[in-house]
Amino acid sequence: MIAIQTEDVDIGKLVSDARRRNTGAIVVFDGVVRDDDITDMDLEAYENVAVTELENIARKATEKYQLLHVDIIHRIGRLSVGENILVIVVSAGHRNEAYEGSRYIIEAIKDGVPIWKKELTKDGGRWVPGEQMHGRRIERHS
Amino acid sequence: MRYKKREETEEKMSVMIRFFAQFRELLGTDIITEPLSGGALADLIKEVASKNKEGYDAIFNENGAFREFVIIMKNGKRLDTAHAENARVADGDEIAVFPPVAGG
Repeated sequence: MIAIQTEDVDIGKLVSDARRRNTGAIVVFDGVVRDDDITDMDLEAYENVAVTELENIARKATEKYQLLHVDIIHRIGRLSVGENILVIVVSAGHRNEAYEGSRYIIEAIKDGVPIWKKELTKDGGRWVPGEQMHGRRIERHS
Repeated sequence: MRYKKREETEEKMSVMIRFFAQFRELLGTDIITEPLSGGALADLIKEVASKNKEGYDAIFNENGAFREFVIIMKNGKRLDTAHAENARVADGDEIAVFPPVAGG
């Protein structure tokens, strides 16, 4: 399942559904709203483009690490401290592929998928600065 | 050969401009514009952004060029900002302008 949604994620169900007969390892990445002296977090996405890019990342990770199943669910809207932001579930035959595939997916998302976060504080808010991507660097994760 | 008349070649089009994150806060989003056929993408964004100085200055530097970190998409595909300076828009295009991404 690849999705951008406001609703929370049933991680237990995703893990159950990720099992295949030849699955030997399932890795779950759960990105959570951290309390950096904030009240809430607002997330927005360029939704149709972001979903397409998440699908491309999942396909590339599947090919590169021989993954058996991938879920990527990124939430948008207003989230409170402790809530899930991003859930990635990766199923593979062995732990190395599962760990490396999961790591590839989160780094690719941070590198280029059009999603933004604004941390809300008692005094207003601040946009979380992007880590890597800018307009003069468009080739990624080939 | 038949040549188009001037008024035919300068027919108005419909182009959607979408800003995201802090650019959206300053400039709004989903702005329908009607540029002349063959217009420059950079000029169109400048025109729309000029309604708010802070928004304009967030996207363009003092020389009127895109700031290096600005990301431009045309119909869901990234354009290098250097290429975006010379890109043209066509009827039905969707142009997205946004700062570096921060998902995950």
